[in-house]
Parts: sequence; C-alpha cells; structure tokens
Amino acid sequence: MDTQAIWLTLKLASITTVCLLCIAIPLAAWLVFSRMRWKVAVEAISTLPLLLPPTVLGFYLLVLLGPLTALGRSIIHVVGHPLAFSFSGLVLGSMIYSLPFAVQPVTIGFSNIAPELLDAARLLGANRLRMLFTILLPLAGRSIFTAAVLCFAHTVGEFGVVLMIGGDIPGATRTLSIAIYDQVQDFRYAEANHTAFFLLAISLLALIAVYGSRKQVHHG
Amino acid sequence: MCKLLLLLLFSPLAVAQTLRLAAAADLQPVLPPILAEFEAKSHLHVDASYQSSATLAAQIQNGAPFALFMAADLSFPQRVIASGLADSAEPVTYARGTLVLWTRNDSPFHQLAVSTLRDPSLKIIAIANAEHAPYGRAAEASLKSLGVYDQVKPKLVVAENIAQTAQYVDSGNAQVGLISLTSALSDRLRASGHYVEMPRDSYPPILQGAVVLKNSPDKAAAHQLLEFILSPAVQKELAARGLEPAR
Repeated sequence: MDTQAIWLTLKLASITTVCLLCIAIPLAAWLVFSRMRWKVAVEAISTLPLLLPPTVLGFYLLVLLGPLTALGRSIIHVVGHPLAFSFSGLVLGSMIYSLPFAVQPVTIGFSNIAPELLDAARLLGANRLRMLFTILLPLAGRSIFTAAVLCFAHTVGEFGVVLMIGGDIPGATRTLSIAIYDQVQDFRYAEANHTAFFLLAISLLALIAVYGSRKQVHHG
Repeated sequence: MCKLLLLLLFSPLAVAQTLRLAAAADLQPVLPPILAEFEAKSHLHVDASYQSSATLAAQIQNGAPFALFMAADLSFPQRVIASGLADSAEPVTYARGTLVLWTRNDSPFHQLAVSTLRDPSLKIIAIANAEHAPYGRAAEASLKSLGVYDQVKPKLVVAENIAQTAQYVDSGNAQVGLISLTSALSDRLRASGHYVEMPRDSYPPILQGAVVLKNSPDKAAAHQLLEFILSPAVQKELAARGLEPAR
C-alpha cells in the first residue's frame, strides 16, 4: 500500500479545508448580510466549480497558472516555479474545486440566524468582528462543521483536477485517487482494491466519528 | 407528428453500420482524416474512442463492445489475446512510433538538442507514465540509455497518457517534453513549437499492434478497416503524420 499517498492525501485535505474555511466564512457572511445588488453574481460564480467537469476545471487551471498568461507569469515570478506539478498548486486547485461545498452550508447557517440578534448586538455597539465571533460562528457552528466535513471528504475523493495539474509526483502530487488509478491502469487490481478499501474504511470511520461527536455536542 | 417521432426513434437503424474502434491516444492527431477516407470508401461509420492503451485494454477485457483495438504497443493487444477475446493469435503490427523531444518556440530552451536534457537550468520535463503508456516506457528507456535518467528524475512530471504529456508542455508548464512524433506533427504543436528526434537506438522500437475482437458482430468490417490501414497508400499517409510503416 502506498502510505506516502495516504499521508499526502490527508495533508492535502486538511490544509485545503482550513484554508477554504478561512475564505468561505467571510465570503458567506458577505453574501448573507451585504445589500449590494451584484452579490448574486458572486454567489453564482462561487457555485460554478460544481458545474464544470473536474478535468475541464483542471485544464483551465493548468493554462491559467502556466507561463502563457500574465497571472501565471507573475505567480512563477513570485514562487519561482509554475504552480502546476506542485503541492501548493494542488491546494489551490482543491480550494477552487471544493469552494461550493464550503460556501453553501455556511451561507445557509448564517441566513438562519435571527436578524434581531444581530440588530441587538449592533445597538449595543458590537463591531463586525465581535459579532462574527460571539454570534455568527457559535450559532452557525453546525453548518461550519458540515462545511468542513464536506470539504475534507470532497478533497480526499478528488481526481480530475489532480490528474490534470498534478503530474503524478510521489510525495508531492500523487494522491490516493491517482495511486489507485495508476494501479488499475497497470492491471494491479488486488493492490487497487486494497488501497480503495482502505480509503473507504478510513473515510467511513472518520465520518462516523465526526457525525457521532456532533450528536453528542448537540444533545449535551 | 407521430411519423416524425417514429422516424426519430428508429433513425439509428437507417444509418450505415457503425464500427467501434478503440484507438491509443497517440493516434488522435493522425486517424480522423484516414477514418473519413475509409468511411467514404466503405459506407461504414467508424466511432473512435481515443484513450491510453491500458484503459482501452481494461475496457475490452471487461466487455466493452469494440470491434477493433489499435494500441500504441504490442503488450496490450497481447493481453487481449491472452484473455481469449481476439480474432487472431498475434497482434498485427500496423505502425512504428517515434519519440521526440519537444519545446515551445518561446521557451528558453528553443535551441533544442538532446543535450538540452543535461542543462542544469532545465527544471521541468514532461513524460508519459512509464508503467502503462508505451511512449512513457520508451521515454524512460531512452533517458536511461543516454545516461541522464538519474540526473533528470527529480525534474520529471508524469502525464497519464502521451496526449496529456503534449498538453503539459504545450501549455508551458513543463519546459520540454518527451512526446510522440504524431503529436509534434499536429497542426497545433507545429504552430507553437518544434522538436528533435530522440536517438533511434536509445529506446526499444515502439511497435504498435492491433487486434480484431472476435465477439464483435462487426468483425468483418473491423478486418476491412485494418486491411485499409495496412494498405500502402494509408501507410504512406501515416508516415507523413509521424507513424512509420512497421515492415
């Protein structure tokens, strides 16, 4: 079994989830509470990665982040190498790929919060940051938790984007899904079965563990 | 209205017989015009799926309804033969592939030579997967016999098939790539870059084999297409597009 790929996948999913929540929480708050008219456009764009086939998304990223575009050239200038074929490139790709899975639940969580609570807080002189930490985050905790679980799981199972921008480098971009694909391509079915079974087993256990702990928090 | 619906329902029966072809990814830039010629001549319709030879072989072994399998090497057709699905005991070698080193015209390595591979400023080299893509296997063998493999190993990025290898280097993300001559001679890559051939004796010949699948109802048509591909005129056309005659 490819333990290196297992660790890489878990690392990728964890980093992606943390980074994505840092973006999705303020974005969702803005989407729910802003009165700007064109926010629907932002909402629509943040859902687009759900629509694009992952290989197509991956291909666009490959071109966009490569030296043929101004954006790609400036990234190469700053980072020193193209983002494709690197772990940081995978993190960026995964964040875009999983964005809707983070934004949607948090948006729903925030819009379920009674506006009176926020009005009261505002009247009492709380600033936005304080409102975020004392009202929004605690009350939308379940939604944020759901977002985190979905992002993590979605990134673990990611294949198309990694196939397109990864370059299959052991320890840097060969994730579990790619390792399984390689094994199947080489007719190493038994090995592929083992890896896939392991992936399913740890994913199922992780999901049971998180959903179980959520129930306890909820009742207790 | 009713008639129209009936017509729509049954129209697939009215069109010419369809022949399903499983073709290796390196054939994608080459085959379409040749298949069009065949269709015009034979009044058969050919539906081609282009994927890596390994994927196609696995699909065939699991019952994919192809009539003809054109792989990028001999091992995958042999695998199909071993599982008892082929109409012949040996694959028919229909062409020989050529491995080239390719770069974009605007790359810093535009003065391309095989020795470019030793250039310390070269950072990213694209190759196809050596485990399951025939051109990837050739690329690895070539790098090894040229004695540069250990030096370039950390610089290699591995694409799933040879068409994707071309994409990695054409998009500029990889600086050079070891791709098929068929890709290098395609209109797109001819416009954006140039190539040098890897030394012939540095890798085992990429002999490309085909098998007709014996369970297909279109077996006869598949034999007809294979004969057409082996005809001198088509072999000449293949040569112009990067696939040499095999014999």
